Amino acid sequence: MNSPPPIEVRGLRKIFRQTTTGQAVVAIDRLDLDISPREVVAIVGQTGCGKSTFFDLMIGLEAPTEGSLRIGDKSPHFDFDDFRGRIATVFQQDRLLPWRSALDNARLPLELIGLPESEQRERALTWLERLGLGNFTNAYPHELSGGMRQRVTIALATVCRPDFIIADEPTTALDVVVQKEVLSMIRDIQQEIGSSLLFVTHDLAVHANLCDRLGVMYAGRLVEEGPAADLLRSPRHPYTAHLVTSLPRIGDATPRPSLSGTPPNLADPPSGCRFHPRCPLAMDICRREVPTMQTTGTAHRVACFAAQ
Amino acid sequence: MTEGYRESVPVLTFPRQTFVSLLVFALAWETLSHLAPYLGIPPFAIPSFVRIAKSVATITPIDIVVTLARVIAALIVSFLLGVAMAMAMYRSDSLDKYLHPMIRLLMAVPVVSWILFAVLWFPGVEFRICFVLVIVCGPVFLIDTLDAMHGVPRDLRHMMQSFRPTTWQFFFKLMLPAILPTIFTSWKVNISLAIRVVTIAELVGAVTGIGHQLSVAQELFSVADVFAWTLVLVALLFLLEAVVARVEARVLRWRV
Repeated sequence: MNSPPPIEVRGLRKIFRQTTTGQAVVAIDRLDLDISPREVVAIVGQTGCGKSTFFDLMIGLEAPTEGSLRIGDKSPHFDFDDFRGRIATVFQQDRLLPWRSALDNARLPLELIGLPESEQRERALTWLERLGLGNFTNAYPHELSGGMRQRVTIALATVCRPDFIIADEPTTALDVVVQKEVLSMIRDIQQEIGSSLLFVTHDLAVHANLCDRLGVMYAGRLVEEGPAADLLRSPRHPYTAHLVTSLPRIGDATPRPSLSGTPPNLADPPSGCRFHPRCPLAMDICRREVPTMQTTGTAHRVACFAAQ
Repeated sequence: MTEGYRESVPVLTFPRQTFVSLLVFALAWETLSHLAPYLGIPPFAIPSFVRIAKSVATITPIDIVVTLARVIAALIVSFLLGVAMAMAMYRSDSLDKYLHPMIRLLMAVPVVSWILFAVLWFPGVEFRICFVLVIVCGPVFLIDTLDAMHGVPRDLRHMMQSFRPTTWQFFFKLMLPAILPTIFTSWKVNISLAIRVVTIAELVGAVTGIGHQLSVAQELFSVADVFAWTLVLVALLFLLEAVVARVEARVLRWRV
């Protein structure tokens, strides 16, 4: 098993222009992230924090406005063809081609990399059997349940044994039991093929135990990042602390505190730290200056003046 | 295993209402053909079915074959040109912006004008007919295909793009299969259009084909012959539509 190349994100920025007003929206702002070979990382944040833009940038659907994203020594944006079959995506909801059977969907990436048809079928069949879909290879997507469709999506994403798997809210549309099954399956396959894995999600509770490292995004910026266990045990950023204390615990009926205010408008964000209007620890400096990521422990980084 | 999931195809029932309405029309026609002399209508104007049957018996298959060949050839050329241009316009916004108004303009020109242009511009009969058919049917294929391409769900396009296909793979693995239902509908519309257009084109400038035979029948004041050739045209249309429906059912069997 070859080791996948490391992933290095530096100063990543993505600015959109609003079609109606022409205003610039900074959806991702100076994001730095490293993903080591075979590491499992989750980027967590609420709706509108820039997760989906980050996802699109990572898989090459969008090009960054500034900054760089390198996988090994190549860029998935500029060396587009070099990553065919090497980056795989598990989307929020199953995205299968409705006119193709489960088997034909699963062999699509193998077709795209030009494998002979007999080999495509053999590999896709083996992979579907590995995912417990051996009896449903000829079924069309509409003939499968939601969980089965998501398993076909996983087969589709991983049949090429990619270096890097990126999953965008892969369990959002599924019930709790199937969520666990699907996440375990993704994690098992990742370990089996030795890929690096990035989850992009709003659901800290579901993904926390699966990850080696967690990153927390707020209003287009990465505000904290570190080993999952460390970050959950002692969150440094007030927003992360809020997310962690909001996690549901069985038998604990204590009302969870909510944050005051609403997430900022990214077309007109607050000055300084974007979290300061809602932050219980806000200081003067938070209104004036943008906090940069500082290491506060072993591989634990936080962008907060109060925590540094 | 999966066969059990498929819904059964509904059994075709005898179209009783269609049969009854056609029978009523035929009886009314036959009655009128016998009463025509008493109503002051010339007998040739409403021929009886016996007379029409005699005309049907004299129909020359070569004219049917020629018209059919012209329709099929022109539809294939129109389809290939329409889809190729739609693909190019989908890829290039500028091309789309320049060509779209021109296509709309072509579609607004009446068929008769195209026939007259063709007669004036081109000496060859076959080329004239093919030109008229392609200029009328091509834009329909193009617009339908382009609209369908724009309608392919963004989710599916993103899924496909995430696998980094070549442009060719993107069109042939995603876009074309996704727009096939629209393409079949477009074929059905264009078959009906082409049958009508080819008849007019042959009527004006050809010495073979059903249109030409209709022109001869008109010169001979033979309503029975006109009726017989019209029946052939309708049958031809139904036959072509049935062929397309059959192919559609086979290709789109996943929709069952």
